[in-house]
Amino acid sequence: MQGPATLEQLIEALRCLPGVGPKSAQRMAYHLLQRDRAGARHLALSLDRALEHIRHCLKCNNFSESEICHLCASGKRNPQQLCVVEMPTDLMLLEQTQAYSGMYFVLMGRLSPLDGIGPRDIHLDRLLARAQDGEVQEVILATNYTVEGEATAHYVGELLKARNIKVSRIARGLPMGGEIEHVDIGTLAQALIERRTLN
Amino acid sequence: MSSGFARQDNQQVYVLHTYPFKETSLVVELFSRQFGRIAAVAKGARRPRAAMRGMLQAFQPLAASWSGKSELRLLHGVEWRGGMHLLHGQALICGFYLNELILRLLPREDPHEVLFEHYEAALVQLANARQLEQILRRFEKRLLQELGYALPLEHEADSALPVEANREYDYVPERGPVPRGEAQSGVQLRGKTLLDMARDDYSDALTLQQSKLLMRALISHYLGNRPLHTRQLLIDLQQL
Repeated sequence: MQGPATLEQLIEALRCLPGVGPKSAQRMAYHLLQRDRAGARHLALSLDRALEHIRHCLKCNNFSESEICHLCASGKRNPQQLCVVEMPTDLMLLEQTQAYSGMYFVLMGRLSPLDGIGPRDIHLDRLLARAQDGEVQEVILATNYTVEGEATAHYVGELLKARNIKVSRIARGLPMGGEIEHVDIGTLAQALIERRTLN
Repeated sequence: MSSGFARQDNQQVYVLHTYPFKETSLVVELFSRQFGRIAAVAKGARRPRAAMRGMLQAFQPLAASWSGKSELRLLHGVEWRGGMHLLHGQALICGFYLNELILRLLPREDPHEVLFEHYEAALVQLANARQLEQILRRFEKRLLQELGYALPLEHEADSALPVEANREYDYVPERGPVPRGEAQSGVQLRGKTLLDMARDDYSDALTLQQSKLLMRALISHYLGNRPLHTRQLLIDLQQL
């Protein structure tokens, strides 16, 4: 059955969301139009406003309303450390640790050779410029410990080392309170292979 | 025929690639010892505490269980088989290259046990991260062999005369080495390169260089005109 053209358009538009197929999109459209018109209005306005005001921070590449984001502009952070993460959610978690007071750079992705996602897609050129601002002394690579995250860390690392910038990688191994008996074999194997000397 | 229609348990596999499927699932491209390349859905594998999350990583020796009749199987579980190939840096990118070659050249549901063993051996060598190019050349040659495109290396294409080390040849895809001057196109190389490749001996720098050009031409020939992502990545990274 063919509905009104604007309804079809709305359904089609909702399908741009990840994981939303034709069925889900239809359900969402009906819900918004029939049960929650106020919510729909609010959603439309929020989307509009976000699109207009949100951009990438010039320094850390995270989403920001101003040219330089709140965190980068705060002046209370240590400008000598720069932590590279894949996604804004990673940055939020690292902030929750309260164990780090330096600056960040958000790649907004990772190198994924088999998907054709290359250095251009993750703003490596901007990261290079950022890391060479004269203040950064150490770049901490906090990309995921997946094969893609590792590939990303390797290349960012190589690029920076070639420019005489100190690079470190976040450690991995047993989790907090980890008991060897209950830890997965992969993590355990890595912890053994990458063991460290006590001094 | 040992088709994979019934439930299969404890199958030796490597993950070649994964991509998101629906809200919380993954489609996993597997290379299995017994059934060749298969695809399976790992349901809920993208949920934060899913048992399979973190396990479905490329290059690790896994044992997998799946079932299903369709081209897309249902993955029930994976376990570590023990042993671990930790690929670092450039070796890791080489690993991606091997995976892309298999994904692009090996049809699904086609058992290739010998190739599986070559793949596993190549991963072990990559984990040791020495002489990466030689590892790739050996694997490329065996991959083509297993796919039925064995390379004539020791004899000339048409006359079947033995290749001579000191002579110059043009290597024509699907034909083989032709003495210089007799072919319109082909990859230019010397006889010694071909004989070295036949013996898997890449100690000579010129052999290494010429065999690289030859394999690149042959693989492009069999891939058609869609280039390899991993090769583009290496080029892009060198330009930064």
